[in-house]
Amino acid sequence: MASATLTVRAGKDKPPPKTPGWIWALPPVALLALFFLYPLALVVQQSVQPDTGGTSLQPYSDVFASEAFREALGTTVWLAVGATAGCLVLGFALALIIAFVPFPGGRAVARFIDVFLSFPSFLITLALLFIYGTKGMANGMWTDATGAAEGPFQFLTTPWGVLLAEITYFTPFVMRPLLAAFSQIDTAQLEVASSLGAKPGRIVRRVILPEALPALAAGGSLVLVMCLNEFGIVLFTGAKGVTTLPMLVYSKAILESDYPAACVVAVVNVAISVGLYGLYRVVSRRVGA
Amino acid sequence: MLVHSRKGKLATWALFLVLFLPLFALPLLVILAASFSAHWSGAFPSGFTTGHYEAATRGESLTALTTSLVTAVSASLLALAVGSWAALAAASLKNGGKRVLDTLFMLPVAVPSVVVGLAVLVAFSKPPMILNGTRWIVILAHTILVTAFAYQSVSAAIVRLDPAYEQAAASLGARPSYVLWKVKLPLLLPSLNAAAGLCFALSMGELSATMMLYPPDWLPLPVQIYAATDRGSLFTGAAVAVVLMAATLLVLFGVSRVRTRASYR
Amino acid sequence: MSSGIRFDRVSVAYGKNTVLDALDLTVEPGEVMALLGPSGSGKTTALRAVAGFVRPASGRVFIGERDVTGLPPHQRGIGMVVQQYALFPHMRVAENVAFGMKAQKVPKSEIPGRVAEALDMTGMASYARRFPRELSGGQQQRVAIARALAIRPGVLLLDEPLSALDAQLRSGMLGELARLHRELPDVSILYVTHDQVEALTLADRIAVMDKARLKDCGTPQELYRAPRTEFTASFVGNANLLPVRVGSGAVSFGATDLKVDTGDVAQGATATLCVRPHLVGLGDGPNALSGRVAEVQWRGATHRLYVDVAGERVKADLRELRTPPGIGDEVTLHFAPEDAVLLGAGVTDG
Repeated sequence: MASATLTVRAGKDKPPPKTPGWIWALPPVALLALFFLYPLALVVQQSVQPDTGGTSLQPYSDVFASEAFREALGTTVWLAVGATAGCLVLGFALALIIAFVPFPGGRAVARFIDVFLSFPSFLITLALLFIYGTKGMANGMWTDATGAAEGPFQFLTTPWGVLLAEITYFTPFVMRPLLAAFSQIDTAQLEVASSLGAKPGRIVRRVILPEALPALAAGGSLVLVMCLNEFGIVLFTGAKGVTTLPMLVYSKAILESDYPAACVVAVVNVAISVGLYGLYRVVSRRVGA
Repeated sequence: MLVHSRKGKLATWALFLVLFLPLFALPLLVILAASFSAHWSGAFPSGFTTGHYEAATRGESLTALTTSLVTAVSASLLALAVGSWAALAAASLKNGGKRVLDTLFMLPVAVPSVVVGLAVLVAFSKPPMILNGTRWIVILAHTILVTAFAYQSVSAAIVRLDPAYEQAAASLGARPSYVLWKVKLPLLLPSLNAAAGLCFALSMGELSATMMLYPPDWLPLPVQIYAATDRGSLFTGAAVAVVLMAATLLVLFGVSRVRTRASYR
Repeated sequence: MSSGIRFDRVSVAYGKNTVLDALDLTVEPGEVMALLGPSGSGKTTALRAVAGFVRPASGRVFIGERDVTGLPPHQRGIGMVVQQYALFPHMRVAENVAFGMKAQKVPKSEIPGRVAEALDMTGMASYARRFPRELSGGQQQRVAIARALAIRPGVLLLDEPLSALDAQLRSGMLGELARLHRELPDVSILYVTHDQVEALTLADRIAVMDKARLKDCGTPQELYRAPRTEFTASFVGNANLLPVRVGSGAVSFGATDLKVDTGDVAQGATATLCVRPHLVGLGDGPNALSGRVAEVQWRGATHRLYVDVAGERVKADLRELRTPPGIGDEVTLHFAPEDAVLLGAGVTDG
């Protein structure tokens, strides 16, 4: 190549007509439209077109008037809010310990959380049945110890059972972004603060909490949406007394074959969770979490 | 860092164990223990048996395992193809177009899975496309649900990809399609792998939409577990659940092995 | 055959922010042109406009006779080497070097020979089977250069190619690059750097850039000995820039008259006198300046003196002194009239 003849590469003088970038986005968008957006639109359509034909908001007023719907809406919201609050408190405490009071095996715990996240939610309810069920571990211990015929733990088929399962399952979803945020905090900052005589509680409030707020907000809103949409946990509880919106969609459609009503509930559920999810995206984009 | 005294540290760790073990470790252990026991009427399970596994790896449960594996693998591959395509297309768009695609492909995460099931059921129970009653409707719903996750992780990987590689390739005279096949996709391979693992795990555990859609001849593991517990066979349910967890972990482990071999940096 | 590069009033803007302002510059075929300037001066933008990674808001870019302004990068026939090397991590060294030829569908039989040739030139022949992660920074840079040369480009764009290397490797690679250019005299090279030593060593001509504009252009000797602007004087080499008033055949600096060539600068005007620190001597002589020593720095082979003269701090680089003056000592400095350059006010900031 020392003696190489250097040639200008024969390039075309005229560039070929350029295909605009959005052409390439069309095939996946078309698939999404056909298999997701179109079905979703049909659900909305069905919700305003009762079997009798015509278009009316009658199904909505019927559903809104029904006791079952109002109860389900209430249950769904308070369960989601309660579970989110629980997850935030528990997740913050646990992540705090893992990050700032390091102990041998802390990495293993972090790995365990990743594994935990890859399992389906209903496994938690299944496990709780063995622990707190009528014939489960806790009640068994009680009856063994006292000789009573029945144990005191009967909350599993109540909303409290669902709440416990949801807090258990969704807490890791709060811990993960928190651990990521904590790893960004300069530990020298904490050391300086404590060398100046600040107590741990004060350091947490003044240094750690402000840094963790974005991650808390993002994780919290994600968990709120997921709790609103949770189905497996409620289904496995098998409690007739606990009906959430997704459960109501399922029972209206599959058990009662009342599709218009199912569609109305579905539209309400989608409106709430997509609204909240939009909020989550805005929050997480703003804080860069 | 935060707590300095030895006593304080021990107290904090004790608090951690008191919270962590019963909440997170105990449930999984309990399922494992139950799957091996004949009775559980006192404080602890009794009567060690592998009988539930014989039931869980035979007949309908074995069918459910293959059903789940086939569903999860097909759904993950489809979702990966569509999701990566969309993510690559979105990355080449201007801000506005990218935001539209982001919103569209993240939407399935926000919509409740049960509603996705209902929507698919409503749309594909009538002509021109009747999928209701076939396995395809289950695979389709799973694909829709996991595509969003594939899109998200591939998008994130593209953002992290140094544009210098693409530009170096272009300066060497490579057409955009050649750059995509020979440079970008190979560099994204580790992330595609991770995305595939994520999609697979999600699909293996999917229950909500599946409950709305499954035909009698296509019962995935979660449905099987529900059916078992619903009729009172908790122990069989636990054994099938362990099979589900083991299968998921095995595949995830396999995928992560491939990933370490394929990562260059 | 070879091709040069021509910028014809090329402007680049990001939003309202103009990062390259009407650049007119020609790189002759076979010439090494260094684009020298601080960060943000627009030099990298100019290079990327040639490569096709930024689109000019106005103006044309030519490679040889060809207007490449609208062409995508892969049709421009350039070789490029960047600071971070950007070797493809999933390909072995030989595959990296072969990449451009394969992409351009060079006949398969030709490729192995040309890969070997390019690796030979850069002294990397024995590393052909390695992966980039198994190489040191300097070795990676050699592979990146081999990769760019293998496609036999008419022009080679080098974007801060040495700035990721440590000082010792850098001077070695500078020699290598000079040798490569002697072996490939037909390749035009556009070399972007913020390091004046690299530019002075390697370039046939240097284009000095600042704040999106071309400030000065000339051979290294011209720019160093006779800078035309204060910016060039201070950026290419060190300089004492003294405010003076122009008389006839002399200038007055404070109360002192200094004999210099006033050229065509008008009498009575204020101007800047540029004197290189290493051309300033200690002791009495023509053009003597007296002042008080403010600081003394020992730099091994030299002593750097900072002397306050008439309100200005004058720098002098002197061969190591046996008995350097102490701080506060009264000293006299001098310089030869032909070693000073007078910069007229009109061209101080072009």
